[in-house]
Formats: sequence, structure tokens, C-alpha cells
Amino acid sequence: MRPMTRRPFSALALAGAVCAAAPAVWAQASAAAGDGAAQAREVRAWLLRIHEAASHRNFQGTFVVSGGGSVSSARIAHFCEGLNQFERSESLDGQARHVYRHNDVVTTLWPATHVATIEQRTMLVEFPALLQAGDDRIADFYEVRPQGAERIAGHETNVLVVKPRDSSRYGYRLWAEQATGLLLRADVLGERNEVLETSAFSDVAIGVKPQPESVLAPMRRLDGYRVLRPALTPTKLEAEGWAMRQVVPGFRQVSCVKRPMDNPEPSDKQVLQTIYSDGLTYVSVFIEPFDAQRHTRPMLASVGPTQTLMQQQGDWWVTVVGDVPSATLRTFAKGLERLKK
Amino acid sequence: MSFDSKRDAMALERLSALVDGELDGDGAAQACGHWRESGEVRSSWHAYHLIGDVLRSDDLAGDPASDVAFLVALRTRLQDEPVVLAPQPSEHRGAAPEQHDVHVANGVRSRRWSWMAPSAVAAGFVAVAGVVMLTRGPAGPLDAPASRLAEVAPAAQPVTASTLEAEPPALVASGKLIRDVRLDRYLAAHKQFAGSSALGVPSGFLRNATAIESER
Repeated sequence: MRPMTRRPFSALALAGAVCAAAPAVWAQASAAAGDGAAQAREVRAWLLRIHEAASHRNFQGTFVVSGGGSVSSARIAHFCEGLNQFERSESLDGQARHVYRHNDVVTTLWPATHVATIEQRTMLVEFPALLQAGDDRIADFYEVRPQGAERIAGHETNVLVVKPRDSSRYGYRLWAEQATGLLLRADVLGERNEVLETSAFSDVAIGVKPQPESVLAPMRRLDGYRVLRPALTPTKLEAEGWAMRQVVPGFRQVSCVKRPMDNPEPSDKQVLQTIYSDGLTYVSVFIEPFDAQRHTRPMLASVGPTQTLMQQQGDWWVTVVGDVPSATLRTFAKGLERLKK
Repeated sequence: MSFDSKRDAMALERLSALVDGELDGDGAAQACGHWRESGEVRSSWHAYHLIGDVLRSDDLAGDPASDVAFLVALRTRLQDEPVVLAPQPSEHRGAAPEQHDVHVANGVRSRRWSWMAPSAVAAGFVAVAGVVMLTRGPAGPLDAPASRLAEVAPAAQPVTASTLEAEPPALVASGKLIRDVRLDRYLAAHKQFAGSSALGVPSGFLRNATAIESER
């Protein structure tokens, strides 16, 4: 009996934290491209505007992701009322999964198995803060330039090309709605500029009337569900006896947690997960004690733009996951060092 | 009238010169202009070529219908040709398809190709890496080639810190083909943090919202 071997997938959590502060920096977005500092400012303005739109706007629509030979879609709604954020997403393909978020509480329902997970996600706030403070170095590692206008899901959008300046990361093409900045489509581009994944709204209504109750009601109605409350425990890499000797340029650690993996029960074996972000993409490094039974083979897997590297390192089993070229994952794996204690 | 016929005569003369390759740039441009404007000039152009062809060989004076018949027959036979594809597991080895089955066999192969392709790619990577590929799951199409490879490939080498330089085995899979439970778990845990990026909420959360996985 393992009704819940995996975590719910919603990463809706972030928006709650983001909501708190969002100055209208994006007014600069239309400024002509300068060089150096001016360009960095412009890049930041573009991204902030996209980020701001996603957390502050009220919208709902159908979102489709295709890549790696598969297509999946979900119904999505996002509402913002004052400082409160509400989100709802219902997968339309495969097994039904409903994700509801109210600020940093995320409830995931699996109607088929009558399992619900309730999670608190509060620690993932660092990145937007970096962006707000202008402390990011995105412009050092990506070149962002406008590429005209296109129509997506019935809305006029500005197209942005985000080109990596080195081979450690992928590029993107972004379609941001002209009036609000809401991201309506994003392509992940590989090393040869090939599209690895496309995610886009097939239809979306922006500026809808907020309906928080449509999110809150299902979060309360858990009769008949087995409710699990998996917990992520914030920690420090060094405190767990590890150091990252060498980080891929542009990446910095944004989070480090201990979490259950095989089973959401907190008593279960914990895995250390450290997140590194370069502002646009991020990499997870999982560390757990090596177990010959479960960790049978090293592996490098590729699903759409997402690469996964798994291998044994001494007494440990290291898994590195990210939407980056596999060489970047190897650099992370190599940079990991067990501290002698 | 007389002016027109005179002009036409000149045009035809120029056209004839063009056929013979005797016109300079301006003349050729003019002749082409006439060709474009006048249907009569165009039919003359065709006739001149036909005359030239027949002068070169009597065979070319045949009934044009036979050309059409030839083309149609050629297309039909091309359709019936089996499509040559990359090698695949020879489950049907020894059972040579009979001649009249070619069309059917062709259809079957094409269909199989559509789902064999990713596994063939994966197999290619494994061969390069020279290590065992890992697959598991509900009788996925990866199973057949993978198990075949596993017999050939050396047993998986435990990768230690000192052998990190060696390339780990590669598995390339589409979201649908891969059904490795442990991989799914890490992917899920990773995607939970999609907010760790500037695009976080729109792309990350939406991608996660639609993430394909074998949830239970």
C-alpha cells in the first residue's frame, strides 16, 4: 500500500511570497537598449514585469506543455486580492490531480486514490528578493532582447529572446502579454537553438473577477481523503556535512531542505535537497546515503529540457536535476565535497 | 494590325534566338517579358522545344499520353516500395513477407517506427556510453531493446568519486516512455521549487501543474 509515493507537483507556492513587494520598475521595460548597467536594468525590468504579472493579475485559462514527445495540459486560475493569493490548477491529462494554493499553503488532491497532501511552503522566497534588490547577475549570463510582437491565445504579446552567454544553460523565447506582462508562452531552447519544450496558454482570460472561494472551498472539503502533511525542514548544506566547492558560474544557492522522498511520512528516510538558481533556471542537488538495493545504476536521463544525473559518490547517492545541459549537472556533482568531521 | 503582327513576328524571332542561346542580357529580358505576357509566345516556346527534341530523336515525338501513363505507373510503384528504415529487433526473422504483402508490411513498419524511434535513440546513447541502460515499467517499447542490450553490455560499474570523470550511462526518454519511479520522485521534488527562477510562477508553476508523471 503506497497510495502516495510522490509529491504533489504544484510549485504555486512562490507567488505568495512574491506578492508582498512589486514596484513598478517595469515602466523601464520599454526604454531603449543601452549597454552595461543600463542593459542589466532593462533585463531586470522585463523579468520583474513578467514575475509581477504572474502574481498580481487575475487570470484563468488552459495551459499546454509539450516537450520530450509528450503533451499535457491543465486548467489554471490565479486570483490576487489585496495581499492574498489564490491559485487553482487541475490537470486534464492522465490521473486527475487538483492543486489549490492560498498564499503559502498548498493542498493537492488525488481524487482517484482519495489522498490529499497539505504543505507549507514558506522558505522559497529568496530569488525574487534578489531580483528586487538588483543583486542578480542575470544580465551577466543571459542576453535579453526584444524580437517584435506576436499573437498568442488571442492576445498581443512582446517576444523576448533570452540567449545564454555560455554553454552552461539553455536559452528561452518568451511571449509576454503587452498590456500586463503576463507570460503566455515560453520555449526552452537547446544548444543548437532547437525547441526542447514549449509551454503556452491555449486560451486565457486576463483580468477576470477574483473567486477566492473557488479555491478555498475545496481546500476545506477533505472528507474521505487521507490527509498527509509532508514537511520540508530548512537546513544548511554545511550543517549537514557538505560543501559545494565549485558552483557553475552564475548559480547561487537559494535553498536547502531535508525532505522525505520515498514516502511523505516525516518519520521516513530524509534526503537533503539543495537548490541553486541562476535567476532563470535552477538545479536541485539531492544527497542521500547510498543504498545498494535501491541505487542500482548510475544514470543520465533526459526528459524534454530536464536532465537528471544519478550516481554514487563514496558512501552517498547523488542526484542532480535541472533544465540545463548535462555538463552543468556534472559540474555540480563534481563540486560536491563531504566535509571531514 | 500590321503593327501587331510585325511585333509578334519580331517577338517570335527573338524567342527563337533565346532557344538557341543567342540573345544577350537585354534581349533575353525582353523575350522573357513577351513570354510572360503572351500565351501565343508561350505555346511557341513549347513548340520550338518540341521541334528541337524531335530533330534530335524520333522517340521523343511519341504520344504525350504515354508520358503521363509512365509517371502514374512510377508513382504507384514508388508507393508500393517498402520504406527502408533503421535496423530493428528482428522478431519476424525468417518469416520473409510474400511479395503481395509488401504494402501491408510497409504500413506495419511505418507504424512501429513511430514508437520505436525514441528507443532507438536511447539505444544509441547506451551503445556509445557502453554501459547498461535502465528501463522499467509497464511493458514499454523500451523493454525489448533494453533487455537485449543488457545482455551485451558490461555490468553497471559502481561510480565512485574517483571514477566520476567517466561518462555515466545515458538514457534519453520522452516523458511518456520513461517510467522509472525513482526518477519521477526526484523530478517531482525538483519541480516543487519552480519558483526559484524569475519566470517561476508562470512557467514553473504552470509546467508543474501539467507535469506528466505516473502519479498514484
